[in-house]
Amino acid sequence: MSKISRRAIMAGTAAAVALPGAGRAQGTKPRLTAISQWSAGSDGAAITALGKKFEEHGGVWQHSPVPGFTTEMMNKLRAQIMAGDPPACSQLKGPEIAAWSKIAPTVNLDAIVAAAGYEKVVAPDLARLHKPGGTWSALPLQIYSTNMLFLSKRAMDKAKADKAPVTWADFNALAEKMKSGGVAHPIANGGTRPDDGQKFEAALAGISPAAYRAACMNLDEKALKGPEMKAAFAQVRKIADWMDPNTAAQHFSTNLQRFIAGDMGMLIMGGWAQGVLLNAGFKLDDFMIVPGPSDNTKPVFLLNADAFIFWQRKEADLQAGQKLMAELVMDPAIQTMYSQITGSIPVRTDVDLSGPGWSEGQRRTAAALKEAVAANQAVLSLAHNMAQENGMTAAMIDVITEFVKNRAITPDQAVSRLAEAVEGAR
Amino acid sequence: MSLTAPSPARSPLAGLKRLPEFLVIWVPLLLSAGHVVVFTVWTTWISFTPSTLVPAEGWVGLRNYTNVLATRNWKIAFDNLLLFGCGFVILTALVGLALAIILDQRIRGENVLRSIFLYPMAVSFVVTGTVWSWLLNPGMGIQKLVNSWGWESFRFDWLIDRDMAIWTIVIAGIWQSSGFAMALFLAGLRSVEADLIKAAQIDGAGPVRIYTRVILPTLWPIVIAVMVILLQFAIKTFDLVRALTGGGPGIATQLPALVVYDFMFQRGHLGRGSAAAVLMLLTLLGVLLPYGAWKYYQRRRAANV
Repeated sequence: MSKISRRAIMAGTAAAVALPGAGRAQGTKPRLTAISQWSAGSDGAAITALGKKFEEHGGVWQHSPVPGFTTEMMNKLRAQIMAGDPPACSQLKGPEIAAWSKIAPTVNLDAIVAAAGYEKVVAPDLARLHKPGGTWSALPLQIYSTNMLFLSKRAMDKAKADKAPVTWADFNALAEKMKSGGVAHPIANGGTRPDDGQKFEAALAGISPAAYRAACMNLDEKALKGPEMKAAFAQVRKIADWMDPNTAAQHFSTNLQRFIAGDMGMLIMGGWAQGVLLNAGFKLDDFMIVPGPSDNTKPVFLLNADAFIFWQRKEADLQAGQKLMAELVMDPAIQTMYSQITGSIPVRTDVDLSGPGWSEGQRRTAAALKEAVAANQAVLSLAHNMAQENGMTAAMIDVITEFVKNRAITPDQAVSRLAEAVEGAR
Repeated sequence: MSLTAPSPARSPLAGLKRLPEFLVIWVPLLLSAGHVVVFTVWTTWISFTPSTLVPAEGWVGLRNYTNVLATRNWKIAFDNLLLFGCGFVILTALVGLALAIILDQRIRGENVLRSIFLYPMAVSFVVTGTVWSWLLNPGMGIQKLVNSWGWESFRFDWLIDRDMAIWTIVIAGIWQSSGFAMALFLAGLRSVEADLIKAAQIDGAGPVRIYTRVILPTLWPIVIAVMVILLQFAIKTFDLVRALTGGGPGIATQLPALVVYDFMFQRGHLGRGSAAAVLMLLTLLGVLLPYGAWKYYQRRRAANV
């Protein structure tokens, strides 16, 4: 450990000596070591663009992507932390920020955040996640809602429908119409665990955001056995019956072609699907994006936010790099650039989305967030590890994914199994 | 080694000459044995600590074990291990034996066929799993092909049937490993003394009788060896399931190794993951210790005779 940091300091000194003009004038050149899972597609393109901006501001960008699921990135992070050599900055999100900041010291960003006046423009539930123990140690980068409803234009034509559903009853009626209009599978889906989890959280939060908050975010025992839970599972069963069972364990993106062709009708997915669809060469007029069904007709927003956490380093160049990175991540122009590539919406609620770089879906998402926050209906996503730590999330998703794949389980059984799983994982 | 004649007088120079041999054999052996022992002990230790994201100090007794044993995941995984273990080991051995017997008939192109049968062994389990996940997917694989030939009612949807999905893993496993079993069996068949076979022929035994009464009984030691090797394949199976079913539909095809990975790296419970890993080790010992005892008994009996 001491060897590594000494070498790093020597490298820093060498750089300072080699560049007497630039290096000495403004102290050391800011440098950032970062790890994330974003390596390809729109995510990879976005972080590469962020790195370019970092370099334009005179920094040295050292990003090592770890492709695959977030957990694979976490394994690398764990190894680096245990070796005493954490990256200056890493991707991490949700309650994991609080959990991981207990095992290694993080940077106190309070001064930088205050200087930027950032706290005023971030949704309060989101801000809380990024300041474990009351101090900012992580910064959210972009927001998705996990319960956006994507409607295939061709499937809508087959159903002779032009109005997007608002409540679950509308949704179910539209699905029936699609089915009788010749859409083979009214619900487009993949078969992965988060995919199944999203169906459930969209159902429960759409039926009752208050019940979702109590059951999935606060793990309230009474709420976990409440009537809304049973109704949510019953709705998930309907959704499951409209899905293509053959998708097995496929990723949702495998079936986007069939979705656009009108062979599948509706996709309940996060806004990132827009980035994936555009990246695959489909046009914005092939589909429509609206907020997911909500029985009280006001939009429900299931928050999923990607963030960067900053790990303490002694090297001056890395500290300068962390400061620069923090400033960039909070910058409205950078957030605009990033979200326009990935299909997300900016964390800042004061960014204007009327410009040409934004899609109608993104504008609707941002408007939905504003309305949902006002109605206290912006909740944290369970399926994407925002509501609970990974251990609890996985235990709950186990029950949900089994329910989706097994018709023999009744909603009543699912409710009691879910409550049991929560007890077991506490 | 065979080049150096044993010198009657032990000179220090001779000892020095043999130094490279010692270095090459003993250093890697001790290192790898050390690795296995150290990490096994460490994992066992962690399984008794309250470790979550990173290893932590402390003692929680058997709490991690009771917790793991109470999860549905572990119960399903263990049932699956029994089904998969028996199915995979027995069927792979049978297919391997059948292939070996067919190849043993001195047929033409034996070398080519042997290579073809052995080839899946060279493919990684991830590739096997991915390819079979396409072949077995009813929407694009075998079922769709047969349906498109006109047999519309043909169904082969084990991949998405939670009761049958475990057998898709058995199928892929057999495809991958039966060539290996075949190679061992073939070597065994070829090593049966020709005199024995000739004697049986003279006594008027037909080919079937020769196999069942003369050749196969001498094959027992190889059968046991194949079984034990396949069984430890089965117990540590991980990548095949990850690629083929992802543990699904739902959690229907969980196996212990997946549960260990899941606890350790996805749920952030190093303690519970280690407990599950130790339980896996105990399962393996449950197989290997009787095997060891049997070997010991055999050796004792041979020595006494």
